[in-house]
Amino acid sequence: MRCRASRYLPHTLHYYVFCYIFASVNEDFVHKWRSQVKKGTLAFIVLNILKTRELYGYELIEQIRSYTAIDVAEGTLYPLLNRLKDEGLVNAKWVEQETGIPRKYYSLNEKGLASLAQMTQFWEELQKSINKLSK
Amino acid sequence: MKMLTFNDKTANKIYQLYIKRVKKVSKGLPEEDKDDILMEINSHIYEAMQRVHVKEATEADKLLDILDRFGEPEDVLRPLIAEKKLRQATTTFNPVHIVKALALNVTNGVAYIIFSLLYLFLFTFVFVIGAKILYPKEVGLFFQDGSFYLLGIIDPKYRQKYGVEEVLGNWFIPAMLLVSVVFYVLTTLILRLVKRRRK
Repeated sequence: MRCRASRYLPHTLHYYVFCYIFASVNEDFVHKWRSQVKKGTLAFIVLNILKTRELYGYELIEQIRSYTAIDVAEGTLYPLLNRLKDEGLVNAKWVEQETGIPRKYYSLNEKGLASLAQMTQFWEELQKSINKLSK
Repeated sequence: MKMLTFNDKTANKIYQLYIKRVKKVSKGLPEEDKDDILMEINSHIYEAMQRVHVKEATEADKLLDILDRFGEPEDVLRPLIAEKKLRQATTTFNPVHIVKALALNVTNGVAYIIFSLLYLFLFTFVFVIGAKILYPKEVGLFFQDGSFYLLGIIDPKYRQKYGVEEVLGNWFIPAMLLVSVVFYVLTTLILRLVKRRRK
């Protein structure tokens, strides 16, 4: 809901005042909800990307951006990777590079794959019910 | 670790300063974790410098942009360090690590405030040991008519008047030591459990 000038409505002061109040509240709510969903699904997205091949942090950020249009902050991703590692879902290893600056590669392990399978199942069920609901 | 070098003097300075801040924030961690954090940030900066191409941007501009995206080391590393510190604390049983870990985690929930109180409570047992050494007659575990009355300090006059008896005698200090150690180990084990469940 945006406060656009409409040809069909008289643009009284009331219209703008009410429109502004309701529009700003709604947009604010949706905005917050979107960031909550993004935050909640980031681990799922990361695991899905790592399913295909092992990646280092910077590459992973690029991939997330290209697949999802989510501009993930580095300050969120690295702690998340660390948590996934601590939980035993991903492995991490340092790989020496010719440049002398090694890269830390993350890969999905058995436990990660199994967990991802469960997450995917839940995701699909949720999607089905939402589709049914919002029909 | 191989440090990065920049042609631009300003960029070099910015980089050195940032690394210094990272080192400062991660100071209390085990060497392995410290190196890991530093190396990963170093690698991130290096890869980003290679990829980001902005027309007419100087090295310093690019670096500033990358670091800006990464965030302030103090903010970004705080949750990471709080978690690593907690793991270190609960595996080593080192009281210094525990105090630091709790201080870092205290903003992360009521549970850690409760743990801080538990450790503080534990300190009271240590305190009465010290008090017993200084005031052997006034300090002890006191019973009145066979039931628990007080653990701590009591005025001898009051003691006589109400028939309060000290029951542990010479065993007071060893008993308090034992209670402290058991309490300490138990609390730390519970902390480890809670930490595992919360992650």
